[in-house]
Amino acid sequence: MTDRTEDTPRDDDSLLAAEYVLRLLNPAEEAAVAARLALEPALAAEVAAWTTRLSGMDAEVAEMRPAAAVKAGLERRLFGLTPRAPFWQRAGLWQAVSLASLAVAAFFAVQSLQVPPEPARAPLFVSEIAAEDQSLRLLAVYDSAAGEVRLTRTAGSAADGRVLQLWAIVGQAAPVSLGVLPQDATTAVILPAALREDVADLILAVSDEPPGGSPTGAPTGAVLAVGQVNAL
Amino acid sequence: MATAAEIEDLIARVALGDRQAFSRLYDSTSAKLFGVVLRVLNDRASAEDAVQDAYMKIWRHAGRYSANGMSPMTWMITIARNTAIDRLRRTRATVDLDGVAEHLTAPGPNPEQSAVAAGEARRITACLDELEQDRGAAVRGAYLEGQSYADLAARFNVPLNTMRTWLRRSLQSLQECMAR
Repeated sequence: MTDRTEDTPRDDDSLLAAEYVLRLLNPAEEAAVAARLALEPALAAEVAAWTTRLSGMDAEVAEMRPAAAVKAGLERRLFGLTPRAPFWQRAGLWQAVSLASLAVAAFFAVQSLQVPPEPARAPLFVSEIAAEDQSLRLLAVYDSAAGEVRLTRTAGSAADGRVLQLWAIVGQAAPVSLGVLPQDATTAVILPAALREDVADLILAVSDEPPGGSPTGAPTGAVLAVGQVNAL
Repeated sequence: MATAAEIEDLIARVALGDRQAFSRLYDSTSAKLFGVVLRVLNDRASAEDAVQDAYMKIWRHAGRYSANGMSPMTWMITIARNTAIDRLRRTRATVDLDGVAEHLTAPGPNPEQSAVAAGEARRITACLDELEQDRGAAVRGAYLEGQSYADLAARFNVPLNTMRTWLRRSLQSLQECMAR
C-alpha cells in the first residue's frame, strides 16, 4: 500500500479532492484545484480514487430511459449537417460498407430474385442501403440490361401509417424519386433513363414519408437509410 | 447492460469517430446517465438537454479515456453528473469543468490504487449508514443531488462553516470506514 500515510498535507489534499469530486467547493476553489491537477499527479490520483470510492453511490440511482427524441436530437446536434450539406450524408455511415460484403450480399440478392444466370451479360451494380444502426437495410442490384433496380429488404419496415420512399441522387442534384416501396420484401423499380448513365455514381436513399409518398416531390421525412452504388 | 469491457471497447471505437459504436454506447448507458442527471436536475426537460450535453462531451473526449484509471461507467457518470451540476449552477459564476474528465485520467491512479478504491466503493453504502443520519444524508445530497455547501447549510439549517466542518469530518470517517 502506498502514499496515504506518508505525511499530513496529503491527508488535507485527500479531503480537498473529495470536496472537489463532490462539487462542494466554490468556483474559485474549484478553479484552483483544477489548475493544480494538471501539475500534481498525487492530487489527480486522489481525485480519481475519490471518484471511484464515491461511485459506489451510483447504484442508488434508478435507471431511467430517456425519450427516443433525445437520442435523435443528440445525433442531430453532433452529426447533423447544415441544410446545404448533401442530403444523403444525413443518414451516416454508408461509406463504411465494404465492396467485399456487397459482393456477397449481391450474390444472395440475385439468387433470391431468381435472375437467370447470365454472368457475362453486363456490368452489375449493387448497393447496400442501410440505416446507421442497421434497423433498416435493403440490398439493391441494378440490372443494366433491363434498366431496373431490384431491391430486397433484409431488415426493418415502414413505421405504422407511413411508407418508405426510394430516392436516387447524383452529385449535388436534387433527389429523384424512384417511387414508394411496396410492403413486399422484394420489388423492382425502373431507373429513369436520365440516371442510367451515372449509375456508378448514384446514391440511393430511403426516406420516411406519409402514405402515397412525399407530397412535394422532395423527401419530407427523415432519411432512414443510404447507400452508394458500386460496380462489381 | 453491457459489461465494462464491452463499454470500454465501444469508447475506444467512439474515439476513432465510429458513429455506430457511439449509438450502441448510448443505447447501453443512457438509462443510467439519464437517471443520474435527472436526480440532480429534478426536471425532465433540463435533464434531457444535460444528457445530450454529456454525450457530446463523451464523443469529444472519448480519446482521453484510457482503461488505466476508473471504470468506464464511472468515467461517463462523472461527466454526466458534472454536466448536470454545471447546468444547475449556471446562474452563478462557474468555472468550465469540461476538462475535469481528462484530468481524472491524465496521470491516473496506478492499478493497485484503482483496485483498492473499487473495493472501497462497494462498502460505501454500509459506511454511509455508520455516519450520523444527517451527515450521511448530507454526503448523499452532495453526490446524488449536486448540493453545494450553501445548499446543504440551508437544508440542515446550520451555518455554512459548520456544514463544511461536518462534511469534512464525515468524509474522513467515510474514508477510514471504507479502507477497513
